Amino acid sequence: MATITATINLTSPDITGDPLNLSKTSVLNKAATATGLDQFTGITTVVYAAAKTAEKIVDAGDYVDTTVSHKVYIKNSATGSSDFVTVELGGSNVLMGRLYPGDWCFFPYDGTLDVDIDTSAANMKVEYGVFSQSTAS
Amino acid sequence: MATTTATLILSSADVTGHNFSMTQTATLTKAASSTGLDEFTGITSRKYPTAQTDTVVVADSIYVDTTVAHKVYIRNTSTGNSDYILVELEGDVIIGRLYPGDWMFIPYGGTLDVQVTTVATNVSIEYGVFSQSTVS
Repeated sequence: MATITATINLTSPDITGDPLNLSKTSVLNKAATATGLDQFTGITTVVYAAAKTAEKIVDAGDYVDTTVSHKVYIKNSATGSSDFVTVELGGSNVLMGRLYPGDWCFFPYDGTLDVDIDTSAANMKVEYGVFSQSTAS
Repeated sequence: MATTTATLILSSADVTGHNFSMTQTATLTKAASSTGLDEFTGITSRKYPTAQTDTVVVADSIYVDTTVAHKVYIRNTSTGNSDYILVELEGDVIIGRLYPGDWMFIPYGGTLDVQVTTVATNVSIEYGVFSQSTVS
């Protein structure tokens, strides 16, 4: 199986009275195992000619669900500062939050709800990808 | 205002037919602004002596909402490989499971609590919120 690592570095010299310097690395394994995730969509890059509403970028139907350790990555690759991507979960489009230009997110995904996005303007570039586990042991 | 950066590094030598390595760095700013986020909870570390059900780790009432660029970080700091943390938005909207060592970093709209459920005793977690005040 594959070995995939995901590292986050959070730094700030001035958000608190002391510098923040957090670095954590995770090895992406299948649920409750030491076996690496074995599927990857690649990183998809899309430029939407028009603003989008509830655009499905992760289809729950494509994945095994519940006892899983999938991971989703999304980035708003637009420039400027105002054109945001709204990340939503499920058919009711429950709001997770907004990614402003340059913002990215990385989160676990249990495969039961679609991941949708709205874009606030025309010609916005978004990139996304899913690391997931197959049913193979 | 503060300058806070969040960097993601994803890498694998073998998940595809070629080496995969990607680095993305975001400077965390207020919504539609170049002004940095100005609030931070610090990183909270907890070890739950008992299994938890829908325990609130981020309460929406504390934050301004919707037109915001808050960010939430959560990590399962437990050891082993089976004791997961189920992360949900209020109303049982499942995001996913963090297995030991896994972390997440998401935008947060401030409209729903972020909750965690654990299935074992002595599960450890750390979390924090970077957020924007209403001060311009």
